[in-house]
Amino acid sequence: MSGLASRAEALRRLQRGDATFRWMTRAAAIAVLVILGGIFISLVHGAWPALRAFGFGFLADDTWNPVTEKFGAAAAIYGTAVTSIIAMLIAVPVGLLIAMFLTELCPMWLRRPIGIAIELLAGIPSIIYGIWGLFVFAPFLQQYVQPAVIGAFDGIPVLQDVFAGPPYGIGLLTAGLILAIMVLPFVTSISRDVFEAVPPVLKEAAYGIGCTTWEVSRRVVLPYARVGVIGGIMLGLGRALGETMAVTFVIGNAHSISESVFAPGTTISATIANEFTEAVGDLYTSSLIALGLILFFITFIVLAAARLMLMRLNARMS
Amino acid sequence: MALFDARRRRNAIAMALSLAATGFGLAWLVVVLGVLLWKGVGGLSLAVFTQMTPPPGSDGGLLNPIVGSLVMTTIAVALGTPLGILAGTYMAEYGRYDPLTTIVRFINDILLSAPSIVVGLFVYEVMVARMGHFSGWAGAVALAVIVVPVVVRTTEDMLTLVPDTLREAAASIGLPRSLMIRRVAYKAARAGMVTGVLLAVARISGETAPLLFTSLNNQFWSANLNAPLASLPVVIFQFALSPYEDWQKLAWTGALITTLAVLALSIAARVLTGQRKPS
Amino acid sequence: MSVVEFTTPAAMQAFVKAADLSEKIAIRNLDFFYGHNRALKNISVPLYENCVTAFIGPSGCGKSTLLRVLNRMYDLYPNQRAAGHVALEGEDILSPSQDLNLLRAKVGMVFQRPTPFPMSIYENIAFGLRLYEKLPKSELDDRVRSALERSALWNEVKDKLHANGQSLSGGQQQRLCIARTVAVKPEVILFDEPCSALDPISTAKIEELISELKEDYTIAIVTHNMQQAARVSDFTAFMYLGELVEFGETSTIFTNPSDERTQDYITGRFG
Repeated sequence: MSGLASRAEALRRLQRGDATFRWMTRAAAIAVLVILGGIFISLVHGAWPALRAFGFGFLADDTWNPVTEKFGAAAAIYGTAVTSIIAMLIAVPVGLLIAMFLTELCPMWLRRPIGIAIELLAGIPSIIYGIWGLFVFAPFLQQYVQPAVIGAFDGIPVLQDVFAGPPYGIGLLTAGLILAIMVLPFVTSISRDVFEAVPPVLKEAAYGIGCTTWEVSRRVVLPYARVGVIGGIMLGLGRALGETMAVTFVIGNAHSISESVFAPGTTISATIANEFTEAVGDLYTSSLIALGLILFFITFIVLAAARLMLMRLNARMS
Repeated sequence: MALFDARRRRNAIAMALSLAATGFGLAWLVVVLGVLLWKGVGGLSLAVFTQMTPPPGSDGGLLNPIVGSLVMTTIAVALGTPLGILAGTYMAEYGRYDPLTTIVRFINDILLSAPSIVVGLFVYEVMVARMGHFSGWAGAVALAVIVVPVVVRTTEDMLTLVPDTLREAAASIGLPRSLMIRRVAYKAARAGMVTGVLLAVARISGETAPLLFTSLNNQFWSANLNAPLASLPVVIFQFALSPYEDWQKLAWTGALITTLAVLALSIAARVLTGQRKPS
Repeated sequence: MSVVEFTTPAAMQAFVKAADLSEKIAIRNLDFFYGHNRALKNISVPLYENCVTAFIGPSGCGKSTLLRVLNRMYDLYPNQRAAGHVALEGEDILSPSQDLNLLRAKVGMVFQRPTPFPMSIYENIAFGLRLYEKLPKSELDDRVRSALERSALWNEVKDKLHANGQSLSGGQQQRLCIARTVAVKPEVILFDEPCSALDPISTAKIEELISELKEDYTIAIVTHNMQQAARVSDFTAFMYLGELVEFGETSTIFTNPSDERTQDYITGRFG
């Protein structure tokens, strides 16, 4: 056919661009790995002076004294753990209940708007939660809620120490509550997606033998969706652990471990956010970066476990 | 019959609880947004958009942080989007059967949810410490690192949705792979990919932590990216924690502006695809 | 190579010589594997120039697989490979040095589901043309028009060339895909069940088109519809479980097949 030679020529020209494009996309994919590796390496590098000075004792020590240059991560780790646990204790049951409502009870026309509203909660930047917490929520808790709770548990062993005064308003519990509101949409969203993916035949079979909606949800839907729900919970946990701005405003920024959840404390991210720009001295800065490394480690493990679970779920579903 | 009644009661309680939980969740949304509107709207005026941040006690606006945020967001998107699209393209097209793709997808999902303050520390170590000073560039790079995983994920998801028959049709007229991707697959996935970018912008618009020690903050008007640059979230942070009432008022107004921008972007993204955003 | 395993070799050779046909694509001893699964077993069949060759057989017999070897479409996927000889006018297309894009420019394909590109009708066709030739706008317009005329679509779309290709009806979309394929001037066109997603009227139009196209192109068509094969093709190959059972002139296959399996299939006993 005429023009065949020129056609081959045109294709050969395109071939060269083809290989370049392919190479570029591969390089970009590898760049993603490089970013993660880079984060890890730079954190280790920055934390090295502190790690060398304090060793593993860094994790258990709760002193935080910039003057004597003695630092320990224990208070921050404790705060991170407590606030996250409080957040999950509230967000998980509430999120699951909302997901159940959305998939079973809610009238069809209301499902989308409510779903969107819940997702809006997730979209609000965390700094807004922070200032709202500081100016509205904390004073509210301080004036009305905390005194009541402290009074209520007064005299009861153990609990009276957990809910001990004075009512600052800010503190571990307040931070945990705000985190709960922030994590709630994640748990709800993922749970709802997983609940909706349960094959209708399974639910119909249960309804068919006379199960109530609650029984169907608890005995059929939840076990079937178990892996996805746990994956979603862990994703929410990952977010709670790393959340900075909302927590910084209301945690009180005290490097101490106390029994009471009403007491001020600190988390890893709040410490870094509050102190990094003021840090004088290499050891101080390095200790803060070491905190960041610990946080990175913890969230990496939680997120990796969550992803592995979700991968298993996807493999099962397809 | 007693057993049946007990079960019915349990069901009723569970259903009531789920309704209450939904109301609980929605109530928080109303409270937070309501307070934000109430406290922030009062400060909204043209001055906010035209005047610079004032020293405490004087009048002013949020011009330099708004501009600073816009500049850094634009640079972050310009840096992160091409990288993200290319990586997502590899994963969905050339590397579909490559084990590398599985690893990258896994790592990318972790980066997606990684604490943004850690990203700030990373850029601090790599750029600020090395350069010896804070800069708008560092802030933009930190935001770009947050943009990349979002764009990678949406690009891969959207390209995977393009049916293989379309690819085969392109191959059948002799189209080389790269052209098939660029002229056919991208076109077919375009709406979804734009949504990904919008979502990424919404995400970084509210981010404060990564900017705290990369771009820092700047009281004055500055167009110099090589020096500390003001940004809206950092100014909100600083002003809200200050003891000055007029600064606090500006902080609320800034918070309102930020939230409105983020919500507008999310709505635009949703309208574009007509579906729920990927989680 | 001139010795081929036909059921009536002598008659076949006589026919071929008399009609002065040449073999556009020569398939010899072709095997195809999906992983370890052998989907095509030792297939040898000719595709004669400017004729329509139909491939019929029950689902899973390998006819689409065979078609997709001819333009090496399977190359897009790992775990699929072909072994044997397939020659397009003497050139071995299975060889690794074969330029795939060039091959696909010579051997076009129309798929089961219409797949217009997400572009305007005009662009759908111009797109392929621009790949190979630098044409001034007026000439490009002419080529687009002639491709659309060739596919009997011009009159229906001449006033809306810039409408999105996906806004056309199913039958029109398929004709657009045919126009797109024809525009790049292939030598062979492969049709993989082109009418199975279409209504009867569109089907009739496309069958008419195929009969006209064979004047300029060599055509292979895979179809589930035996009546369609009988209407449209000159030669028919019956396949079963990955093997070529019988090949011959369409009229012979449908009125007097040699193999019992062919007979059973045609009379509807299975498939």
